[in-house]
Amino acid sequence: MAGQKKGAAAGSGRRRPAWLRLEVVIVPLLLLYPFFPVLDQLVQAVFDTSLRLDRQLVNIFIFAILALALNLQVGYAGLLQLGIAAFFAIGAFSTGILTVGKYPFQIGFWGALVAAPALAGTAGLALGAPTIRLRGDYLAIVTLGFGEVTRVVLLNLENITDGSRGLNPLPSPWLPDWLTSAAAGDATGRMHFLAMYYVALLLLAGLVIVFRTLERTRQGREFVALREDELATACMGINPARTKLIAFAAGAAIAGLAGALYATNLTTTAEPNTYDFTYSIMVLCCVIIGGLGSLRGVLLGAAVLLTFDNVLSPLLTNLIQRHLAGGGSGHVLTSFTNWRWLIFGLALVLMMRLRPEGLWPSSRVKAELHHKQEEP
Amino acid sequence: METFAQQIILGLVNGMVFALIALGYTMVYGILELINFAHGDLFMLASFLALTLVGMLGLDAASSGASLAIAIPGIIVICVVFAGGLNWVVDRLVYRPLRGAPKLAPLVSAIGVSFMFMNLGLFWGGLPMDVFGHGTAAAAPKGFPDLLPGTNLLGDSSLRITVKDLVVVLSSLAVMLGLFLFVTRTRLGKAMRATAQNPTAARLMGIDVDRVIGATFLMGGALAGFAAVIYGLYINTIHFQMGYQNGLYAFTAAVLGGIGNIPGAVLGGLVIGLLRALSDQYVGAQWQQAVLFGILIAILVFRPQGLFGSTAREKV
Amino acid sequence: MLAMKNLAAISMALALAIPLGACKGSDKDKGAGGGGSGEAGGSGGGASSGTIKIVSSLPRTGSGNAVSGAMVNGIRLALAEAKNKAGAFTIVYEDWDDASAKKGDWDPEVEAANADKAVKDPNVMAYIGTYNSGAAKISMPVLNRAGLVMISPGNTYSGLTKPGMGESNEPDIYRPSGKLGFFRVVPADDLQGAMGARWMKQLGAKTVYVLDARDLYGRGIADVFEQTAGDIGLRVVGREGIDPRAQEYKSVMTKIKATNPDFVYFGGTTQNNAGQVAKDMLAVGLTAKLMAPDGCFDSAFIQASGAENLNGRTFITFGGVPPDKLTGLGATFVKNYRAAYGKDPEAYGVYGYVAAQVAIAAIAKAGSKDREAIRAAVEAYKTEDSALGPFSFDKNGDTTMAVMSGNEVKEGKFEFKTLLSNE
Repeated sequence: MAGQKKGAAAGSGRRRPAWLRLEVVIVPLLLLYPFFPVLDQLVQAVFDTSLRLDRQLVNIFIFAILALALNLQVGYAGLLQLGIAAFFAIGAFSTGILTVGKYPFQIGFWGALVAAPALAGTAGLALGAPTIRLRGDYLAIVTLGFGEVTRVVLLNLENITDGSRGLNPLPSPWLPDWLTSAAAGDATGRMHFLAMYYVALLLLAGLVIVFRTLERTRQGREFVALREDELATACMGINPARTKLIAFAAGAAIAGLAGALYATNLTTTAEPNTYDFTYSIMVLCCVIIGGLGSLRGVLLGAAVLLTFDNVLSPLLTNLIQRHLAGGGSGHVLTSFTNWRWLIFGLALVLMMRLRPEGLWPSSRVKAELHHKQEEP
Repeated sequence: METFAQQIILGLVNGMVFALIALGYTMVYGILELINFAHGDLFMLASFLALTLVGMLGLDAASSGASLAIAIPGIIVICVVFAGGLNWVVDRLVYRPLRGAPKLAPLVSAIGVSFMFMNLGLFWGGLPMDVFGHGTAAAAPKGFPDLLPGTNLLGDSSLRITVKDLVVVLSSLAVMLGLFLFVTRTRLGKAMRATAQNPTAARLMGIDVDRVIGATFLMGGALAGFAAVIYGLYINTIHFQMGYQNGLYAFTAAVLGGIGNIPGAVLGGLVIGLLRALSDQYVGAQWQQAVLFGILIAILVFRPQGLFGSTAREKV
Repeated sequence: MLAMKNLAAISMALALAIPLGACKGSDKDKGAGGGGSGEAGGSGGGASSGTIKIVSSLPRTGSGNAVSGAMVNGIRLALAEAKNKAGAFTIVYEDWDDASAKKGDWDPEVEAANADKAVKDPNVMAYIGTYNSGAAKISMPVLNRAGLVMISPGNTYSGLTKPGMGESNEPDIYRPSGKLGFFRVVPADDLQGAMGARWMKQLGAKTVYVLDARDLYGRGIADVFEQTAGDIGLRVVGREGIDPRAQEYKSVMTKIKATNPDFVYFGGTTQNNAGQVAKDMLAVGLTAKLMAPDGCFDSAFIQASGAENLNGRTFITFGGVPPDKLTGLGATFVKNYRAAYGKDPEAYGVYGYVAAQVAIAAIAKAGSKDREAIRAAVEAYKTEDSALGPFSFDKNGDTTMAVMSGNEVKEGKFEFKTLLSNE
């Protein structure tokens, strides 16, 4: 249990050398990846199929931003939120409405990047203000219900949201001409990809820095105190409702930001059913798998889940197909895609069984669990 | 007025079915505070078993009353045993090792189990049986034969209360009453309530908490098995993804009624059934989910203690 | 912690090792899109023999697979019949999933990734897909920009190809290159919705209640139906959407019963719970007949509804002649399909089959591994006979096949009633 002690020591505020090393490796790798998509080339060379990890990385960044938003609400403030997809959807659709050609707003991507979080945050405030005092499980129902209400409203307000058609096409981010021409023109959509990649990466990095700072500020400690013991926190003179509302609205705003990125990346808002309860639950899964309240854990959780579902599964499907007669189609048992949920579900169960506190728990949670085990 | 009465009847009967699913949910939820996402999918698997048995026994709408009177209770028993046993095994293998883990960890396991069950339901639907539509796609919805007569008890009146409605309501009421008596009167039921209130204290009083929790999973699963047969007989379509919506309603009803509160869960189910029916009639079917959850949110804003307001617990 | 260190070490090792491999790769095949700029992928240098990939992007996880299964079988059958050859080329087929486990249905991220993957893979020369029109909206501009031809066996939303049918900027937004790149072998919603309304009137209906499943397919087809019904004097007494995930629809059926329509039109598919719609009509004593589009033209619909609930009161429109009425090549298709898979082809199986045949024929005719040549060959495609009868593609990329059949459920089977026309 040497690692345990080391983790506990690091939790007292000093920087952990391993984390530093990892950061130094990963950030430059991610910054360079679009220009040196080495894994894609490896897969193409070895398996003769394209992987497009670079594209999937954009999805992972966006999903990670969404997971960070939920982590703020669930992991820091201890609010059981089951409807994060609603704020994600509000971000996506407000971006759609504010940028598509059929409406007069057309504020462009950069404008939407400010407006979408503002709108989603306002929605979070409006929902949170009357309900934030509710006990945990009631709040869960309120958020779950809000998710359903939002989805159905978006689906039925056809005149505004185009219903199941979704709004499209969303414009790519505006960039100065010298930059566009420097990056080989826009004929192939590469500029769109590069812009989305770096915007998402930088926003994600920015949020990580903000959250790391937050953990050391008064506000951050208030969140954690609240999560651990609301009554004691209130006794210390902190207004629990106000603190919770801040976390809820801020989380909603960040989810809205992720929504703006998601829709612009796809160039369409997609149909409202995309943002359903299942989506909210998958984000919650990432947060818990990674480790509630742990920044690194949440990032890892998002990366693991999306990599498995969006990158590895298709690759595996492809490889298995090649080695089965008739591609394995025909009977329900012989098609690999029919086993996906079984494998996915088993992976979730095993991960929790092996690491109940998450893949990379925050040192605080780990210390607590360790402490609890020793107590009796 | 007649339409209104009809919608109330439909709402109540449907609500009874939702309440039945919610009962199994609230048992486990009450004792572990585990949001058991797999409950809806367990219910789905039991309904597939029920349909398989219906197919094996060769029952259909034309079967005689006598044969149905023997076969249906038999099917119920098998489904109850199956779902109860499966839920117990899942608890033993999946949730029990996580008892000391952070509160939300079992939730992810439950989601995982839910996915696995859903996948099994998909395979099950691909069984080469006529009752599954031999040769049709495994993922397609499966029709459940309409075994109960839809005869109107009110004769020629355009208001309809069918034999089917009556069977559903009576059998559900019987199970609910039985469960209520079990939880309030028997030794095991009391142990369950004690464990729900405070596991540590219960353990100190000599209650084998793990056994009690296992028994709760067994009962919760058994209730899902019963609900599955009733659902099949009343709704007449089952689908491997139907655990989603039913689980959502069960969870909502259980929370609205108050944690582990059995009459509360029933009331929650009925409220959902009524809201659905009335919003279909007076607002529009496309708004069903929005009206339903919109009103539920409003209820919670004005009654933050839920429908049965005595459950506010404060741990100090 | 240890695992993470290992991971870091592995990524470092990869980062060092792979640029070597990458350089080798780009020396060998300049068009392969190595390095940073080759977004359009390669056209393989226009080789006249070798291996060509055809990929399909259809929902293979979740309930969508109920229909995609038949389409993929159709595609495989077409390839097997062609002995995996198109001219001098060997064809390799890859069956891609555009659904994800986390969503359980087609996933926008995955469809976008599939389109990108196809573009980037220098061997992919034809993209068969999608099933959901929402997914097509995402992949169409990507593929069009890269000049990769897309042949759809399942998208019926009119706005994808037809000016003036959807949004004002459709379909131009899907054609950034200015060329036609999307072709569909399945008739669009506008045709089917309109023909359905005319047929319903022929069947003697005066009033109709229109339901849809709030998805792109059902909604679009119900819109056209409602509009045509108004034009031809068939009174629409109500219009509503249902939640396809709802357990049952007795309440909405009770509401409809009060309006006493002759017919209920349901814009939706078997997967959208059409079986429950059919059953709940009867359960509340609504005696109106039911009409639905080709999304319900499969045996699963009859199984889900219970044959006794459909007999004599259920009418389904379908683009083309139903499999068992087919003669010539269509009959051969049904026979071969049965031999290969041990069951009858479901409605969309034949579209998958024909889509693959179009791709094979175009590759053979182009005779070169060149995306633009193959795209042009598809545009010029014309057949005097196919499993769907003679057809070619019009100026929008739509099939010229305008034969639709009206079918009624009798004795638990679809029975061909009449050929439909749009007059």
